[in-house]
Amino acid sequence: MTKVKVDENELNVDLTQSEVEWIQNTLERNPSITELGMFDVMWSEHCSYKSSRPKLSLFEDAEKNYDYVLAGPGQDAGVIDIGDGYALAFRIESHNHPSAIEPYHGAATGIGGIIRDILCMGVRPIALLDPLRFGPLKGNPHSQWLFKYVVKGIADYGNCTGIPTIGGEVEFDKDFESNCLVNVACIGLGTIEDFKHAPSRAYNPGDYVILMGGSTGRDGIHGVTFASRTLTELSEADRPAVQIGDPFTKKMIIEATLEAIKTGYVRGLKDLGGGGLSCALSELTGDGGTGAKIDMRKIFTREPNMNSYEIMLSESQERMAFIVKPEGLEEVLNVFRKYEMAHAVLGRTDDSKILRVYDGENLVVNLPAIALSESPTIPRKEKRPEYLDKLLTEITPEPSKTLDELIYKLIASENICSKEWVYRQYDHEVGVRSVVKCGDGDSGVLRIIGTDKFIAASVGTNSKHCYLEPYEGAKEGIVEACGNVIANGAKPKAMVNCCNFGNPEKPESFWYFAEAVRGMADCCKNLRIPVVGGNVSFYNEDEVSNTAIKATPEIMIVGIIEGEENIITLPFKEVGDQILIIGETKAELGGSEYHSVIYDLEGGIPPKVDENQINSRWNFIQELYKKKLIKANHDVNKGGFIITIGEMCFKNELGVKLDLKDYNNYNLRDDELLFSESVGRFIIETNPKDHNEIMKLAKEFKVYVKNVGVLSQNPIIEVKGLKSGKLELDVIKMKNLHNSTIPNLMEI
Amino acid sequence: MSVKIAVIDFPGSNCDLDTIHVLNDVINIKADLVWHNYFKESKYDGVILPGGFAFGDYLRAGIIAAHSPAIDEARVMLEDGRPVIGICNGFQVLTEAQFLPGALLQNDTLTFICKWVMVKVENNETAFSNKMNIGDILNIPIAHAEGRYYIENLKELEENNQIVFRYSNENGECTKDSNPNGSLANIAGVCNLERNCIGFMPHPERASESILSPKGTSHGKNFFNSMVEFIKKRL
Repeated sequence: MTKVKVDENELNVDLTQSEVEWIQNTLERNPSITELGMFDVMWSEHCSYKSSRPKLSLFEDAEKNYDYVLAGPGQDAGVIDIGDGYALAFRIESHNHPSAIEPYHGAATGIGGIIRDILCMGVRPIALLDPLRFGPLKGNPHSQWLFKYVVKGIADYGNCTGIPTIGGEVEFDKDFESNCLVNVACIGLGTIEDFKHAPSRAYNPGDYVILMGGSTGRDGIHGVTFASRTLTELSEADRPAVQIGDPFTKKMIIEATLEAIKTGYVRGLKDLGGGGLSCALSELTGDGGTGAKIDMRKIFTREPNMNSYEIMLSESQERMAFIVKPEGLEEVLNVFRKYEMAHAVLGRTDDSKILRVYDGENLVVNLPAIALSESPTIPRKEKRPEYLDKLLTEITPEPSKTLDELIYKLIASENICSKEWVYRQYDHEVGVRSVVKCGDGDSGVLRIIGTDKFIAASVGTNSKHCYLEPYEGAKEGIVEACGNVIANGAKPKAMVNCCNFGNPEKPESFWYFAEAVRGMADCCKNLRIPVVGGNVSFYNEDEVSNTAIKATPEIMIVGIIEGEENIITLPFKEVGDQILIIGETKAELGGSEYHSVIYDLEGGIPPKVDENQINSRWNFIQELYKKKLIKANHDVNKGGFIITIGEMCFKNELGVKLDLKDYNNYNLRDDELLFSESVGRFIIETNPKDHNEIMKLAKEFKVYVKNVGVLSQNPIIEVKGLKSGKLELDVIKMKNLHNSTIPNLMEI
Repeated sequence: MSVKIAVIDFPGSNCDLDTIHVLNDVINIKADLVWHNYFKESKYDGVILPGGFAFGDYLRAGIIAAHSPAIDEARVMLEDGRPVIGICNGFQVLTEAQFLPGALLQNDTLTFICKWVMVKVENNETAFSNKMNIGDILNIPIAHAEGRYYIENLKELEENNQIVFRYSNENGECTKDSNPNGSLANIAGVCNLERNCIGFMPHPERASESILSPKGTSHGKNFFNSMVEFIKKRL
């Protein structure tokens, strides 16, 4: 905190002393209180990316290097051209801090914010996905409270707006106990024309500036500066900084906005999120190369006597700013009137390049439009934590239990068990697009009505692996999320990320961020996946217990499936079919669920990613799809090979007879073979008559493929070829354990 | 004369476009999406109140929409025998408007539930079930937080044959396990005495295309085809 004297008052700001001096020098005067507040917000880590920007430049330029990328990083959402005249917009961001303090409204307004980001690209939001992280549930009412109300917040908001929640992930780990992670992702679909109509810029002088939607209140003032600090005991007192959501108004905003865009008179569009009106107006005019004259008293406020500081910094939800052509003003206002949405014409753009805000006669803001978005960057120190050396040398203990006992315990563990308790509360069908339902595939699959094209979307990352080796762990997140869409029959098209890390001022926390970004950038270049957007959430660190979260570079991938017949699902389907595994299993148990659940161990060497091999496997799978040789596909993830087999058996209650004698190329222990989390493997179901053709293609693509067993009617998983002899697992018992964990744990 | 159906767009309706899509593109009849304040009954042969959260379901699910001018228009249709159908939130509106008896309370799970269930046809002489057979078992999804049907006088409802659909298992047994929300007597849909007004909690518009159904069925079409058939018989 820095103390700044303005007129007679002394104000505490989060700006540094040198930033304050820079502002004074640039303006050649002292800023007003309102201006200072605007800088404070706009130059917060959350809005300005001042610590992260130097690292984010490692990502290759998506718009330049990929012809189908229409909008890349720096815009409200990434947008790609998916053919047939359609544009797909998507973005993921965090709402961690508000959710840790007030889970219901924190999560709900997170959904609200991400919907607005998509909407202001001019397209209709059609799906949500939510990666969530909490402390362990067992015997922990605080974690249960956060979990229950975050899910309810997402459900109540998403369901009401009529946007299906089609996927996500949930992880429980003690390092997220006080800093839960609530990441929210949204996908929007529209025509390329829709997208081009409404850029987030006010580039034409003389246009009207209109505010539409909810009223401006005192809620959420300084929400972003709050999100740019670590949580402390005092954070509970920050609850007024958490905004309150209103999904009904949001639904009206969606419909009114889309209808307004259809008039053809909307020239620019921007949502009001972090930083409120300050952020929206300065970005619209700054990016558009214009200025604007705004009458602040036109703004409809929720309470009387709000001053200019409060109005300009309020983060009240459900508001959109429109830039409208003068000749279309009435027509656009009529749309707002139809939906009974409050609106106000605040002023007009001009060619001054200066943002001027009047409070009646008084000029309260008089700033160069681009000044607010020109925050300086701050170079941060990086240092690899010393504790990692010791962690990486830890070895897997000898199991004291039989293999079947270990597997039953794993399948029921919090991170591996079914998340049905969560997705039953989400309307995942509204919109009549959801083709692969939650639980039936590794990703959510949506149809595009009127075409034979499908969107597959997935989110994921492995924070346990990132904790041990952030560079490899971040790569794995990309391979894993791509693997999820590939398993459903899609080709991965583009990536957005949400970086959740600790305090960047601490060199060890910043090292994790730097390494993760380097991993993502390298992996995306190597696998030719454009990075079209990102969000950084720092300060996920709790000062009371002095713990930072595990590094969590959350990845979202969207892919496209061409043709209904090419949609593949996860459940095993037909008795007598062969089971093949693509990719070798290595002794890579470091940071595995097996280590964590059975031995409460965080160490060991985590899996490494070999992009060349991964790329060959992906090409091989696409070739098998083209020849219609795959009947079920599931990528091997948390818990390893045997857990993946179990999950594929559940839906149709089938069994498998496995023989792993010839699969064990590295002479692994039984637990290594069954539970290792080697990256980029797939288990597929195929017709035995196609075996020779598949093996021939495998040779051609230089991909390791092994026939490991056959599907049987009896719901028993029988494993031969292990060092400890034969293993038998009861599929029904596994399924019941898998399904009952969360309902049984929830005490509140 | 071609059949013309209106789907009412209340502020907060969110299955409006889905219902329009199925009527126009799957059932191939003319259906208009009509903003609630602009709806005029004289132009239409039937009306559907779609699912969603009309007026945010503030106060109580369906109650604010029940006072919309669209309901006064729909009442004219109700009284002259044209079909008036409420799906999910539309059913809630119809009970609040007292077009239909009973009430829809919070699910006994106390949560929103989205899942595919089965319903059994109990009465096939209504505007929303005349193309079905009694005892037919249909795959269809539910998605609601307040779908637990309740009525004081169940006996009268049964005697008047006003129960149109019940939740059941695949054998047609109306068990506790097959009842997703705790509805009284597994009731999923009811009608008025005249059989032209039906309220139904599950979503036939989400079950009308095999690509959307986990079992590859398209039972939802039977509901809309019944509505069209009912209208054609009247014309």
